[in-house]
Amino acid sequence: MPELFFQEQDQRVSVEAGVTILQAARDAGIIIESPCDGVGTCGKCQVQLKDAAPGSWKCEEAHYQLPAELQEQGYVLACHTKVYGDLIVVAPNTAKQNKTLKILSEGESFQYEIKPWFQKVYAAPKGKTFVLAGGKKVGEEEGDTTKQFYGLAIDIGTTTLVTALIDMNTGEEIDSLSALNPQSLHAQDVITRIHMASKPEGLVLLYGAIRDEFNHTIQELCKRNSIESRYIYEVIYSGNTTMIHLACNVNPEPLGQFPYTAVIRGGNTVPADDLEISPYGDIYLPPIISAYVGPDITSGVLAAQLEKKKGTTLFIDIGTNGEMILAQDGKLAGTSTAAGPAFEGMNITCGMRAGNGALELYQIQPDGTPKTHVIGDVKASGICGSGLLDIIGELVRVGVIGKSGRLVKPDKGKYPDVLKAQMKEKDGKPVFYVAEEVYITQSDIRQVQLAKGAIRAGVEMLMSALGVEAEHVDCVEIAGSFGYHLRESSLIDQGMLPEAFRGKVKFVGNTSKSGAKAFLLNQEVRTYMENLVDEIKDVELSQDPKFQDVFVKALTF
Amino acid sequence: MAKSAAELNEALAEAVVDMDEGAVAELANEVVDQGYDALGAIDQGLAKGMDKAGKLFEEEEYFVPELLMCSDAVNTGIDILKPHIKMESAGEKHKIVVGVIEGDTHDIGKNLVKVMLSSANFDVVDAGRDVPPAKFVDLAVQEGAQIIMIAALMTTTMDKIGDTINLIKERGLEGKIKVVIGGAPISPAFAKKVGADAYSINANAAVRIARDMLGC
Repeated sequence: MPELFFQEQDQRVSVEAGVTILQAARDAGIIIESPCDGVGTCGKCQVQLKDAAPGSWKCEEAHYQLPAELQEQGYVLACHTKVYGDLIVVAPNTAKQNKTLKILSEGESFQYEIKPWFQKVYAAPKGKTFVLAGGKKVGEEEGDTTKQFYGLAIDIGTTTLVTALIDMNTGEEIDSLSALNPQSLHAQDVITRIHMASKPEGLVLLYGAIRDEFNHTIQELCKRNSIESRYIYEVIYSGNTTMIHLACNVNPEPLGQFPYTAVIRGGNTVPADDLEISPYGDIYLPPIISAYVGPDITSGVLAAQLEKKKGTTLFIDIGTNGEMILAQDGKLAGTSTAAGPAFEGMNITCGMRAGNGALELYQIQPDGTPKTHVIGDVKASGICGSGLLDIIGELVRVGVIGKSGRLVKPDKGKYPDVLKAQMKEKDGKPVFYVAEEVYITQSDIRQVQLAKGAIRAGVEMLMSALGVEAEHVDCVEIAGSFGYHLRESSLIDQGMLPEAFRGKVKFVGNTSKSGAKAFLLNQEVRTYMENLVDEIKDVELSQDPKFQDVFVKALTF
Repeated sequence: MAKSAAELNEALAEAVVDMDEGAVAELANEVVDQGYDALGAIDQGLAKGMDKAGKLFEEEEYFVPELLMCSDAVNTGIDILKPHIKMESAGEKHKIVVGVIEGDTHDIGKNLVKVMLSSANFDVVDAGRDVPPAKFVDLAVQEGAQIIMIAALMTTTMDKIGDTINLIKERGLEGKIKVVIGGAPISPAFAKKVGADAYSINANAAVRIARDMLGC
């Protein structure tokens, strides 16, 4: 029997004399793009034969004519070339599948081809479907299961998990589920979680909790959409570096100690043995940029196509850690700044998560009366992070909070009387009521000052690292589901962002998820991003003696 | 008519609280011109003003930027007055070692404590950040400091504070070197658990604790 050697795939296949190269490839689970299904009209299945002996192949005439110069270089159409002797075939390692280009609807994204790491090929003669990963066969399934081909893009937030179920044939997002990160019940912020997981029993608990939640989510998504979980082949974990360690059952201890190093660098796949998906499935971890600028930001850079943007763009994910990337005509620098958990409602007297009863919007109208919105349209029982920033921004704007951060007493303030009535005393200290039983204290304002000062200092240091003036920043992209609930004015009025950014702020949504989708659906972006992260300049704030001055200056409103 | 020493000292204190570096410089020069006691102007003027600023900080009236501006004013005054301190009146200053624990590089809180202690006329030995337990103890012994103040800003690093205290015990220095700790994740309960001599809730409290411990 003639033997075919597919050079790019490093695969040898024995075939019956007289079969076409395309058929031989399909039987072996190698994908050669064949949009017209071998009819010979499209010309896309061209492959190159190397040093082919005369008589080892025969080309039948097809409707599509290969250009003469290609023929001279040994190119043939795989669908119309029959094999009679040993051949070396050079076929592109990954088929270009001209499927519909996809524009993602939520979270800024870009156009990319549907070209996943995993592929499924039905080998008709055997009645089996081959499962391929990276062009190599990793398993087979009975019958034609090519239609059932799914993947998951998971944004692993410190507080919330968002899991998108994707059809890897079409690129369509079939469904998406959000859940609380169960680890937050054991340890809320990142540092506490690192501390807990540094001990073996802590890691067992935290890993077990998130694994169970993932599997529960998978079951739920499958049930809701009537699909079988064994047809899910790949999962992308996009989250901050600590969350990725914990989701991979890796002790994150070095992340919690100077010099803050990551054990997981990303840019690789790991087995998905603990997930209830296909036995052939795996998990891809996008590359990290630095210990505190994680795969979620890599996903964001990808989704926002930062390195391709003309001009200067600042990309920020506001959270416990303010992670940010500044891009100037393809040159990228990144940093992360410890904002603390104030934005999650922690350390805030009436702070709470963004759940039912949380005041999430606060706007003072021209007549001085505040317009508010409470999640779930119930009576306000607390303030969530976005509400807090809204409140502080608005109170600074109207003068209830002075430049130094002090609450201005009614007799000294020039703000509307309606608001003066909201300033009351509690335990001998002034507090400002934003709802019947919900108020902010002077120390809450101090917490916000520290948090927003950290973000602003990060922005200033990053701009200075690239020699960029605030006036020259063309666009500011705020990512993250938290950022999505913020308003430009409240960020600028309180000085978290420079005044020069007014009118330039754009909220790009969950780019951690939309970027993860791109990683799932197009394997080429993986290598691309793995190389790109090495080019991003890492601006280390804690090592810079200027940081303290910049930070202190950024504390005032 | 020229102001009395007491009046000048009071004005100095007020200028510090007002964060008015210019006024402090003017008043300090006046102290020198009049030949008043420079050390007295530091103790009764500048340091008093900083005390008041620290109190306002604890009452949440002042925040980090104000405190640092007050301290800048104090330093301006000290620079002018220091050359005029009569040697015999300058007693030995008490030394205190301050630093951020090993594994931690968040040092703004530590720097604030340093500023407050310096303004209160302590001789501060700054061990820096990411300081291993042995370095704390060695420095204290070497410098003859009776107090070590340790900050930790992350739950992942605070356990090393206990190691420092154990080391002091191992070396038989218990009671001779006292340990004061503070920082966001630190609580009085934690301080008790690891055997620290005191917990300081903020930079101003650190001054009060140091004075109590040293009886000054």
